[in-house]
Amino acid sequence: MSFAVGLVAVVVFALLAPALQLMARARSWSLGPVTLLAIAAVVSHGLGVTLGIFVIPQFQYWDAASVFGFCVMAYVFAFGAVYKSVSLDILLSLVERPGRRAPLSEIAERQVPDLFRGRIGNLVDGGLVEPVNSNFVATAAGRTMAGQVGRLRRAFGIGDTSLYDFSD
Amino acid sequence: MNMLPGPAQAAAIGLSIAFPLLLLCYARIAATGGSGRRFRLGCVSILALYAIVCIALPGQRHLDDVLGGLLLLGTAMMFCYILFSLLAWGFTLTLLTALVQAERPLTLEQWAEAYMQGGDLGTFTHNRLKLLVGAGMVITAGDRLAPTAKGVAVARLVRLVRLSTGLG
Repeated sequence: MSFAVGLVAVVVFALLAPALQLMARARSWSLGPVTLLAIAAVVSHGLGVTLGIFVIPQFQYWDAASVFGFCVMAYVFAFGAVYKSVSLDILLSLVERPGRRAPLSEIAERQVPDLFRGRIGNLVDGGLVEPVNSNFVATAAGRTMAGQVGRLRRAFGIGDTSLYDFSD
Repeated sequence: MNMLPGPAQAAAIGLSIAFPLLLLCYARIAATGGSGRRFRLGCVSILALYAIVCIALPGQRHLDDVLGGLLLLGTAMMFCYILFSLLAWGFTLTLLTALVQAERPLTLEQWAEAYMQGGDLGTFTHNRLKLLVGAGMVITAGDRLAPTAKGVAVARLVRLVRLSTGLG
């Protein structure tokens, strides 16, 4: 029964999370999509636990938490995969074109540079990079974050190219 | 309410905490290969350890306890994968680290060059396309790209996920 309570909380999360994303966009909230997911997770988990306490005399917290955690993380995983994937953006643009075909040069010379500019815009909006005349320079916050990322990459033996290693 | 996890669940929580530490250890062993392969190796190792723990623990096993533990492990693996993939293949993060590593203001073109470590955005495009082609989602015919039936199905799924998660 405790697993079922966890699943009820998952349903609440699956309804609340997109509702928050839509409301944030409609009302121009300053909260980021990840923060909204975290809020939805905390609220739905809290509701699930409350329901469990009142409905099940021997409520097993970790049974409910395990199924809730797994499903929510799968949701976040799928959300992250479709949110800003360069590969999927290329695939979607191909499918949406008339005739579903595109020259490689158009992807390389127009779409990817547009994505590049879009991500730079995100860094500027996030206060991590600032434009100076026609150049870009990292802010103090950007340098701090880059330093932390570099340390984590070194610790986990991860390269700094962000390219897929197909020899894996 | 019972807040205490079962024996298998407690083992899964312990292994979930040990998982990133195991990845740190594997990063120091060259034979474990690239980032992706090392992560998969970490997952297999943790699952094997969980199976051993489930067999070795004294007393009777309960299905809900073992299942809950498995779900907790799955949650930890997905959580770690989201962070790990962001570090390893994150486009925006690598843009930031490339700018900081350059240690000087960069124009858009110089930034693209620094990001690709001497290459250009064409190299990046080819790397991402290789993923789509390798996964059988896109085919190349001469200079043109076209989605396969699988690619179209994936694109539809992506649209559905975007719609249902409130990303539009």
